[in-house]
Amino acid sequence: MPIIEVTSLAKDFRTGGAVVHALADVSFLVEEGRFVTLVGPSGCGKSTLLQILAGLISATRGEVRIAGEPIRAPMPDKIGMVFQDPTLLPWKTALANVEFPLDLRGIDRATRRKRCSELLKLVGLGEFADNYPHELSGGMRQRVAIARGLAPDPRLMLMDEPFAALDEQTRTRMGHDLLEIWEKTRKTVFFITHSLTEAIYLSETVLVMSARPGRILDTIPIEFPRPRELDLIGTERFGRIRNRIWHLIADTPK
Amino acid sequence: MIRPRTFKTLLILAAAVAAWELIVRLGLISAIILAAPSDIALAAAKDGFVFARALATTLFEIGTAILIAWTLGVGLGILLGSSHAWAAAAAPVLSSLFAIPLIIIYPLLMAWLGIGALSKIVFGVLSGFFPIALNTIDGVRAVEQRYIVFARSVGATPLQTHARIIFPLALPAIVSGLRVGTGLVVIGVVVTEMLASLGGVGFLISYHRTLFDTGHVYFGMLLALLVAVGVNLALTRLDRRVGSWREQEEA
Repeated sequence: MPIIEVTSLAKDFRTGGAVVHALADVSFLVEEGRFVTLVGPSGCGKSTLLQILAGLISATRGEVRIAGEPIRAPMPDKIGMVFQDPTLLPWKTALANVEFPLDLRGIDRATRRKRCSELLKLVGLGEFADNYPHELSGGMRQRVAIARGLAPDPRLMLMDEPFAALDEQTRTRMGHDLLEIWEKTRKTVFFITHSLTEAIYLSETVLVMSARPGRILDTIPIEFPRPRELDLIGTERFGRIRNRIWHLIADTPK
Repeated sequence: MIRPRTFKTLLILAAAVAAWELIVRLGLISAIILAAPSDIALAAAKDGFVFARALATTLFEIGTAILIAWTLGVGLGILLGSSHAWAAAAAPVLSSLFAIPLIIIYPLLMAWLGIGALSKIVFGVLSGFFPIALNTIDGVRAVEQRYIVFARSVGATPLQTHARIIFPLALPAIVSGLRVGTGLVVIGVVVTEMLASLGGVGFLISYHRTLFDTGHVYFGMLLALLVAVGVNLALTRLDRRVGSWREQEEA
């Protein structure tokens, strides 16, 4: 059974008197355990789609099912989220931030401490458990946010341009490390970005979205073997795929 | 061992007190206008017990008023601040009320509640409530939307969202409201004691003023000053504890 089923999804926003069509007739499936990325131009409704998948906002038409269940509200046990801004709580240490979702559920201290220490190690921050967010770099904060998203052991990770605010080197490195984490945990990842390189390098499948109103233009399988190394980005095959996606987006009439 | 710096400070202080004493003794300023330090000490020695009881009354009124003003101000501020519509409706009303010199309603409070401790407490609460509530509203309104979205995504209940995310984020603003508000509570209580009352430090100041017991008046002022300084010191410590992560975050 697919973990994400999106059927004929549409979303309209009313701003003042005008109606803005953010999404028009979006349908796709994501199988469990996959790494799927959605790319599209800025303002195409990518984030709107993600917020609907997360149960944060409702759709105007169509249906979204997560693990077979229609989504109407956030499902914190099934879905972990990582936002563009890490949104860490500044008065809590890295470890306490990762523990926070479990703390809200009333899970006892020892259990959550053990689990969350392991998650911090997984994201490469084992040494920084007792540091506060302001003592960490931007990339490290986002690692904490990823560990926090993984804390409730969700089946699906929704990631909304998580590396967009980072410098290019950090961003590339984070993508690489995210793949390692994904290969270890095998959680379904649904990732949003406007970077074609990032999308192709990370994913098994790239969903290409049009400018507003957002539609899925094509679903492109990315068949590079794993584990992937960064040299892949310079290869001709990689370039061909990137061109293809670029033309898909650029040549689509608005 | 006294450190050299402390020693110097004490020396300057002693010199200032000696000069003060001398000015009055030499008759440069009338003892009715300016009490000599020895007069103040005499007043303390003679009526120390009366002043101690008055201080207890005042501290009780101030303490009770602070407790109520904090609870009401922060509680209502969080409730109103959580809703955009309510905050927008309430803020101008609260600001206007804050701008009124509240002392004009004290005669009414006296008529309703008598001249005992109750009217002082109520007036103290009124004095401190508005800045606390207004700052709390501002602090809650300033919490960025991304934190609320995060709270929803991890399944926080409304109570958890308020207690564990919004309140701590708004805390620096709340504490600056508490600083202003608590100072006003102290002023409110002492001033109304001076206007009409049965006890308290303000009452003694007012009472001895009518008798031209300048030494007693100054001793009462000294006690009121100590209360204000004590309250301010406690708030500064609170401010520092709360402010530490916020400043680091912004650095």
